[in-house]
Amino acid sequence: MNRQRVFYVVAANLVVLLALVLLYPHLMIAPGHLIKAHAALEHDCFACHTPLLGSRPARCQQCHRPNEIGLVTTKGLPIVDTAKLTPFHQGLVERDCVACHSDHRGVRPYRQIARFSHRLLQGSLLEQCSGCHRAPKNELHQALTGNCGQCHNQQAWTPATFDHDRFFRLDGDHNTTCITCHRGNDYTRYTCYGCHEHSRAGIREKHVEEGIYNFDACVECHRSGDDKEGGHQGRSGKRGEGKDGDADEDEEKEDDD
Amino acid sequence: MNRSIISAEVLPFLGRFGALVLATLIVDVFLHLLGLAWVGRYLGIPGTLLILLSFFYSMRKRKLIAIGRPKTLLRMHEVFTWLGALMILVHAGIHVYAILPWLALIALLVTVLSGMTGEYLLERGRRHLAAKRAEQAAAGLAPVAVEQEVFWDTVTVDAMKQWRTVHFPITLAFGVLGLAHILSILVFWQWR
Repeated sequence: MNRQRVFYVVAANLVVLLALVLLYPHLMIAPGHLIKAHAALEHDCFACHTPLLGSRPARCQQCHRPNEIGLVTTKGLPIVDTAKLTPFHQGLVERDCVACHSDHRGVRPYRQIARFSHRLLQGSLLEQCSGCHRAPKNELHQALTGNCGQCHNQQAWTPATFDHDRFFRLDGDHNTTCITCHRGNDYTRYTCYGCHEHSRAGIREKHVEEGIYNFDACVECHRSGDDKEGGHQGRSGKRGEGKDGDADEDEEKEDDD
Repeated sequence: MNRSIISAEVLPFLGRFGALVLATLIVDVFLHLLGLAWVGRYLGIPGTLLILLSFFYSMRKRKLIAIGRPKTLLRMHEVFTWLGALMILVHAGIHVYAILPWLALIALLVTVLSGMTGEYLLERGRRHLAAKRAEQAAAGLAPVAVEQEVFWDTVTVDAMKQWRTVHFPITLAFGVLGLAHILSILVFWQWR
């Protein structure tokens, strides 16, 4: 085999391949097909890419105006099914499209669009849960307005993270609606005088008999409706505390049946 | 000594090459299990650097540099190219999207294969052929008959002798295609 001949054959092939790179970049160097919506751009790398810089948000925004994303298509037609996908691009901290979106199939493992983070949102929007999340139409949520953060966190909206058993076990007669014990939509405070079973006079009578004079912060001793599970801290006369550590000065204590 | 060179030497040699593929699979599985698959994306860089460093031997052989003992540099060339090829294979993974980097990878594998032919196979093949010729002659065969007996082994060794004819031009092909791949990454990479 003539070495020089082999060398020239290889060199000629390389020239042809390099020409193919310039003529058919979508086949030779693109990391996978584009998403269907961008198929028309498959042959034009520089429609999105700025050489040596990458895909700049300004290029995306030429067609996708941030104020319209999720509301209107790039052709100006209104998006009908907003109940399915809540528009949120209007409230992003930074407009970095490729942080979440990857058009090329081969890049998708590294930019996962399903991985939404609340940290992407502006601070004012973080407190407005109802801006994106609709409360279920069930009895529990019917009476609630706001205060979502007491049970839901921004790492995972569901399941709700609140464990009521830590404070009081809701079994038997105590498996009732939230508003029976929590008034005014404030779950940091409670009252045990919200139902007919507990009256202030009756409770006082029972406790004073036992030498217990602190019967305002009920859950300090009672963690369920079972009398046998009661503790004895109340004898010290120590004032009780609510869920958030504040002293219980609730107006609800005035409620009597 | 009735076995042909192909079964006695070439197949075990291919087994050595297979060790490179097996090592690639092991490293890839290991990275995936640890949730470090993204490391493979960047292994192309140290892999390429190792291969570039291995060219010190080539420069020393052509007297472009004067430092280093050729034997030591040759051993370094063999080890670095094997490790560099391993890293580039892990970097490539199994997904096929663009044609150019896969052409570069094929060129790399042909280069490694031809280099390993020169490293392991040629000398062993020559010794095997000489031993077989001696054995046939000792059995009383005439020289012409001996050559007929070892004909295919002779063809195999002659093919092995051409390893340089493949190794050098394909190294050039790997270099050019690899460089084109690197340039395309530099132009289209999302730097921010």
